[in-house]
Amino acid sequence: MARVIGLRLLGSIGAVFGATILAFVIMRLLPGNPARLILGPLATQHAVNSLSQQIGLGRPIYVQYWRYISDFFQGNWGYSYSDGETVKKLIVERAPATIELALFSFVFTMLSAVALALLATYSHRPVTDRIVRGASYIGFGTPPFFLALLLLIFFFKTFHLLPGPEGRLGVQATPPPKVTGLYTLDALLAGQLGTFWEAFKHLLLPSLALGIASWSFLVRLLRANLLEVSREPFITVARGKGLRRWTAFRRHALPNAFLPTLTAGGLVLGEFLAGSVLIERVFNWPGIGSLVFEAIIKQDYAIVQTFILLSAVMFVLVNLIVDLLYAVIDPRVRIPTVATA
Amino acid sequence: MRLLRAPDRAAREDAGDAHGQAEPAAGASSELALSVRGLSTVYETGGATVHAVRDVSFDLRPTERLGIVGESGSGKSALALSILGLIEAPGRVLDGEIVLGGRDIARLSDRQLGAVRGKEIALVLQDPSTALDPVKTIGAQIVEAIAVHEPQLRRAAARKRAADLLREVDISHAERRLDDYPHQYSGGMRQRVAIAIAIANNPSVLIADEPTTALDVTTQAQVLALLDRLVDEHRTAVILITHNLGIVSDFCDSVAVMYAGRLVETSGVDHIFLAPGHPYSEALLKCVPNPERLTEGPLPAITGFPPDLSSLPTGCSFAPRCPIGRELAECHERTPQPHRVSGPAGEATVECHFAEQRIREVRV
Amino acid sequence: MSIGSGPLTIGAENAAVLRPAEGGGPAGAGGPAGAGVSAGARRALRTVLADRKLAVPVIVIALMLLFAIFGPIVWNHDPDAQNLLGSLQSPSLSHPLGTDQLGRDVLARVADGARISLLVATLVTIAGGLVGGLIGLLAGTVGGASDGVVMRLMDAILAFPPLILAMAVTVGLGVGLDTAAVGVSLVSVPWYARLLRSEALRIRSLPFIEAAHAMGATRGRILARHVVPHMLPVLFIQMAAAFGYAVLALAALSFVGLGAQVPTPEWGAMITEGLSYSLTGQWWISICPGVALLITVTAVSMLSDRLRDLLDPRGQYARL
Repeated sequence: MARVIGLRLLGSIGAVFGATILAFVIMRLLPGNPARLILGPLATQHAVNSLSQQIGLGRPIYVQYWRYISDFFQGNWGYSYSDGETVKKLIVERAPATIELALFSFVFTMLSAVALALLATYSHRPVTDRIVRGASYIGFGTPPFFLALLLLIFFFKTFHLLPGPEGRLGVQATPPPKVTGLYTLDALLAGQLGTFWEAFKHLLLPSLALGIASWSFLVRLLRANLLEVSREPFITVARGKGLRRWTAFRRHALPNAFLPTLTAGGLVLGEFLAGSVLIERVFNWPGIGSLVFEAIIKQDYAIVQTFILLSAVMFVLVNLIVDLLYAVIDPRVRIPTVATA
Repeated sequence: MRLLRAPDRAAREDAGDAHGQAEPAAGASSELALSVRGLSTVYETGGATVHAVRDVSFDLRPTERLGIVGESGSGKSALALSILGLIEAPGRVLDGEIVLGGRDIARLSDRQLGAVRGKEIALVLQDPSTALDPVKTIGAQIVEAIAVHEPQLRRAAARKRAADLLREVDISHAERRLDDYPHQYSGGMRQRVAIAIAIANNPSVLIADEPTTALDVTTQAQVLALLDRLVDEHRTAVILITHNLGIVSDFCDSVAVMYAGRLVETSGVDHIFLAPGHPYSEALLKCVPNPERLTEGPLPAITGFPPDLSSLPTGCSFAPRCPIGRELAECHERTPQPHRVSGPAGEATVECHFAEQRIREVRV
Repeated sequence: MSIGSGPLTIGAENAAVLRPAEGGGPAGAGGPAGAGVSAGARRALRTVLADRKLAVPVIVIALMLLFAIFGPIVWNHDPDAQNLLGSLQSPSLSHPLGTDQLGRDVLARVADGARISLLVATLVTIAGGLVGGLIGLLAGTVGGASDGVVMRLMDAILAFPPLILAMAVTVGLGVGLDTAAVGVSLVSVPWYARLLRSEALRIRSLPFIEAAHAMGATRGRILARHVVPHMLPVLFIQMAAAFGYAVLALAALSFVGLGAQVPTPEWGAMITEGLSYSLTGQWWISICPGVALLITVTAVSMLSDRLRDLLDPRGQYARL
């Protein structure tokens, strides 16, 4: 078991290095002086020269690469010329907004995906199954940014049910005193129920839009797993013991179906990371996604580069955690099969 | 003709239990453990309706062992599930009466059946590698079987019962092994656990659907011997579904031959080997390799294929393959009804137009 | 009745869908051998239409294809022709989908966008499939050091959330629809590589390959005649699924300004252009391309799912 974990860990570290090499190669493909690109067209030649020296331009490629990754892992993420701040500061500042959105969306997505997959499988009625499947197809085919637009048009413009693209709280309200940076949590902690409600309402539509791709995927995956597991003989045996349908389903089918679904965790994160870039802008959400979006438009490559590397690291990390979790939870992996008489 | 003769069975016979007959002997208890009348089950998929179980009737006396034999696709497993009320969509039980311990369980709701399953009637399935939940301990799964019917039982007591059951099925270090997971057990051990789960609450009827088919030959013998001992001790009636006639002759008292969803012949086990009434039963017996007949030529096979249960021909469903009925219009037009016939080794119920004739021929 | 051997046994009716060239359609049920391709094709068509889950997406995709090919010809407004005086007009008879902020006809742009999306997505899918498939095949059959090296490279690509790597590629190579296409292809390669590698490994160890070996077939012959044909259905399914993803990814990249550049009428770019107008009443500018996108990708994903059901019902092959 320890050997398995060790190998997996090594694999992840290797993947991260591979990713950094890939990112390095791609970013260096940019035409022009990388230092100039990072600093922008307005920087002085002197600044460009000093940065060039710093990142090792003109030195052998492996020196450049070494500086590249050591800078990254030390948190030296460069400077955004268009925003006048260090990239690190910008990212740290805007992280809570995206984190709150991602958490909210995740909970929302998971709960509804589970509920619907259960409904589709347990009810045994082909109509329900068909509706859920249809919804998941449409969900997959709707790009998050388009859904964001549709949601806004429907809930905001037409029916005035929910707030529009005015960020986390809208222009009027003031944010609660900062504890975690998550407005909902902070508002609750400070007892500001009105603010909590406002923050909550503003989170609804973006969460839906962000989660749609993962939701479709999860519903389909869970449904397939549930169907497969329900047909296993041990479910029949459980029923043969006298268990009722739901009890047998709950105790034996669910855990066995959920287990392989765990591995989708990494993919969900991937969708969220990319999705945030797409939809935060639609909602004027002041998170990392919109930061990156603007950076792309302004050609502020320091930010873009850092985001790409961070995404890779997070992606690899989450996949690693999920795999390890799986190894811990599944007794077949945790306890090796030893032939016994 | 007997294929194998196990000493235990002979001993039971000599002890005077009159199990070898289809009719209850005079003076034997008329209280049946299980009585099935007119059970029919269909599977409705897409355009086709598959008639898996067609008008099946049989009786099972307490401690009697009935073997149900048939090819794959004959409806044996569907029959087992139908009796237990475990047929799931797109299948459903069309009709039938299932009297267990005096009441008709076919009419019961799923919730009511829950009190019956595992308590009065239990199930053992074919494949031990998929019959147990892979992420739960063996102990938990045995305790579950007990706790469903005795919810007030304390954990420690339940655990002790589970350990006792493991010992009963010859699994050593029972206490420790309760905390193991199914993948840590061998196939034979898992099947023994499945049996332990089935007999946990002392059911009066046990349905075993090909319990040894997935095991190697040595383990098969062990498991069968175990089953033999357990059902004797617990005085359980058994329905043993199998395609292996050797097991039937060793283990069972009576046998029912299933073909295309119907029980085409039901009789005491001696009868079927001595004088099979139905041509299908006869053909099945001929298919079994017999060293005494090596010089007769190649092993006979039954020509043709099992019928498509969604589009059955009129008349006798075996007719297209029947050496007798293949050419006869009567067999293709009229569905044979169960005939009660008396043969050299007892009574039998046969669904063949020529049942009487065939039995008489054997006698002569 | 089934056709096929080993892992590919599929129902006769379904087989006809994939091999219409087999003269006469399903074996044993066909007419004279001379009836040939057209009879097989007609039978295949009937089979497809009979299966509703297959028929609906196929019809939708066919319509979209027709729209893409003939739309700009039949409705020959210039998608780039600006008319500021006639801008922001709501849908009418002269402009069924309205005009955008520069007075361009939205219907013409959506039709043009269909051509672009479908064409580029097809190229991306084929490129990714070929490259990834070859890599996987090689890794699975040759094995050894090359297998290790190549799969490490695949791991490096897989370390990124797909869309983000595609973004990086477009940023690195310079923005544009062509680099976006390269980015999306690159991102899809590891999926194919992994899938086909495990398929190749699995098929290699099947008894009938051993039998062929024993009968004296050379490695090349075994590869070409036995391994590759068995890998094709899996590749096919993956490509169908990947096509939908390609359309979405290209649109997403264009949406953030990394793919198709203004004034290219790519659906994603169109959505971004009309974003600010959508909430002030001129919804058609963004909604129309969005709906086209939705319809296309939904139909493709339904189709690929159904194909997977038919060709791989036990789900033994990987899912995207």
